[in-house]
Amino acid sequence: MKKTNKRKDRHQADGLAQLKAKYELLKELMDQIPDVIYFKDRKGRLVMVNKAYARGLGLSPDEVIGKTDFDIFPRERAKKMVEDDWQVMVTGQTIVDKLERATRPDGVDNYVSTTKIPRYDKNGRISGLIGITRDITHRMQVKQLEEEKEKTKKELDVLQEINRLKSEFISIVSHELRTPLAIIKDTLGVVSDGLAGDVSDKQKELLQKGDTHIVRLQHLIDGLLDISRIETGRLKLHYSLINLNELIIDSADFFKKLAQERGISLKYHLPSQEINIFVDAERIIQIANNLLNNAIKFTEDGGKIALELKALQDKVRIGVIDTGVGISRQDLPKIFDKFTQFSKNSGMERKGVGLGLSIARGLVEKHGGEIWAESKLGVGTKIYFTLPRFYSINILNKNIRDEINNLVGTGKTVYLISLSIVNYAEIKVKIPSKKLSVDLRNIIEYVFNSVIGHSSENFEILCIDAKRGECSVILPGATEERANKVCSLLKERIENYFRESNIRNIFINIGRLPYFLKKRIKDFPLALGNFYIKRIYIGLNKRGAKRVSYRVEIGVLSASDEAASAHTVDISHGGICFVCNKLLEANKQVTIDLRLPNRKVPLAIKGRVAWVSPIEEAKGEVHKYKVGVEFIDLKRKERNVFKESFKRLNM
Amino acid sequence: MKNKKILLVEDESDLAYTIKIRLENSSYDVVTCGDGYDALKKAKEEKPDLIILDVMLPKIDGYKVCRMLKFDDKYKHIPIIIFTSRADDASRKIADEVKADSYITKPFEPETLLSAIKGFIGE
Repeated sequence: MKKTNKRKDRHQADGLAQLKAKYELLKELMDQIPDVIYFKDRKGRLVMVNKAYARGLGLSPDEVIGKTDFDIFPRERAKKMVEDDWQVMVTGQTIVDKLERATRPDGVDNYVSTTKIPRYDKNGRISGLIGITRDITHRMQVKQLEEEKEKTKKELDVLQEINRLKSEFISIVSHELRTPLAIIKDTLGVVSDGLAGDVSDKQKELLQKGDTHIVRLQHLIDGLLDISRIETGRLKLHYSLINLNELIIDSADFFKKLAQERGISLKYHLPSQEINIFVDAERIIQIANNLLNNAIKFTEDGGKIALELKALQDKVRIGVIDTGVGISRQDLPKIFDKFTQFSKNSGMERKGVGLGLSIARGLVEKHGGEIWAESKLGVGTKIYFTLPRFYSINILNKNIRDEINNLVGTGKTVYLISLSIVNYAEIKVKIPSKKLSVDLRNIIEYVFNSVIGHSSENFEILCIDAKRGECSVILPGATEERANKVCSLLKERIENYFRESNIRNIFINIGRLPYFLKKRIKDFPLALGNFYIKRIYIGLNKRGAKRVSYRVEIGVLSASDEAASAHTVDISHGGICFVCNKLLEANKQVTIDLRLPNRKVPLAIKGRVAWVSPIEEAKGEVHKYKVGVEFIDLKRKERNVFKESFKRLNM
Repeated sequence: MKNKKILLVEDESDLAYTIKIRLENSSYDVVTCGDGYDALKKAKEEKPDLIILDVMLPKIDGYKVCRMLKFDDKYKHIPIIIFTSRADDASRKIADEVKADSYITKPFEPETLLSAIKGFIGE
């Protein structure tokens, strides 16, 4: 008997130990879980809580045992909680993941998800409940953020769609306006020309007045069409190689009579050497006309207007400077916006609908240039714009060319975005090139990631030449819209970056070169310009001139990347840019044998070394130089050859 | 000498009217019509010396009319001036492809049109 008791005791002891171990296990689970867990009896008194419960109230678990919700929480909240408790205990139905707003003891609002499960006694009657409460504030915040993001995106899409529709609307309406206007104009013309019977002088004068205003209306419609083309990215440029000096003279001459009538002196200042440049001549004339037109409009009788052309290293600058009424400081930033209305005291409120400068900006930017204004009320206004001369200054090595070729080969459009801080030399002291290199990389990565998302395949930084303040990035599979977005954001960010370092007047050129895959590869090179240099001679003529060895690494693409086209130079605007392993002297005259697409005989062209920039290799040694050569003394025939070559290229 | 005959295809009849006055004033005979189907019919019946052809026409568009005439041995000798408000490159290219002889955009200068006509068939 004793034996059995002993065994029974031992059994009991073992059982207790096991039970305790299980209890400890359960308690550990409850206490380690971040969710709040509690047991209540039938009267709503807490039987057991976990650490998370007590921690949330700033109490210890023992302090809350035996209390009801009314002892712990504010009355209103306790009431709600008890209602739920009763529901569970009366109906026996479980509440799962009920979303509730709650206020934590530290006063922070949060979201909780509550689950309440009934407990039963041996007889199957409800004896209380188990509750689990989980803080889901973070999850809710993420969800809210996503919803907001989605909403913003939708709104942005709607806005973009509205903008597109607006531009399309302008385009359609303008076309529809043109036809009747042309008919009115011609009808008046027939009468005025006396083709419908005799016309008196007085009648003729009136008809001609009518005609003037029809022409005015036509210009307005053309302006609206231009704006709509610029905004929808449908504006195409037709490049040809032109003499910019002549263009400036012609523009000034065109306005000479108008200026003379008002007693305004109109002069032009040109650089000593002629400047040849690849541009859309008609569009550049349009810009110059818009600027001169404004200058005359806003200059008092007897004032002065100057048109100047300046050659800078890798760009040209054209300025229209007047002694007119000027623009007030608050109006100045708005003058390139379309339909700008000026404040009453600025002197600019009269005349025109304000499309000219807006179109000028669109056209300049399409050329890869920049336009800006300086002005003082009562003193005058200066408006400048630049055009890039050596467009793809950045040199691409063979690997990168192969890469672009491969991408283009897969049918993707590839954009090459070239950025150049033109006046970096001036501010080098404040931001050394090493720092710039790192910072530029960060900015570029930020911009590209934010426009095209976080896929590393999407873009690639080809090179950062911080010494010259330049870099190139390729962007495969992008649309023009996206490339534009990248460019404008890039520019904004870099300008901000310099502003933070207290540097103003930073001058950035951003070029966007699309590489398309054309269907007819055979007769249409993929390249933007597959010119390549055959030879460079230093000296005025071939005979007696020294032949310079060179190595060109710039990336211009051709469908079949033959060995020869590894020696391609860039297209450039009015010149060429290449890598050379001999140090050429600046300003030296050179002759270049250019091989052009679809021409058997190389074209010998005279050039002048515009700039030379050393390329540093490992260990700080310099063996290569980037050289920019501008064309000089171009003959009409040579110009035509260039024009023909460029016609075939998709620019 | 008999006047040279011009077929003017233009669906804006008021514009056709003023152009007709101008051409007649320069001693040309003018036949007008306002759609592509009539244009083909008149080109075959009237045997004009020159055709001025709008592009956006009812029934058959101007490019098609031009191609049908230019690829027909009986009519390919007749000079055709495409006369349109479309000034874009693509349109010019199509005009080239259908072998139009000249391309004039609206709004037009009467002198441009007249000198183009003179260049093809004289006064």
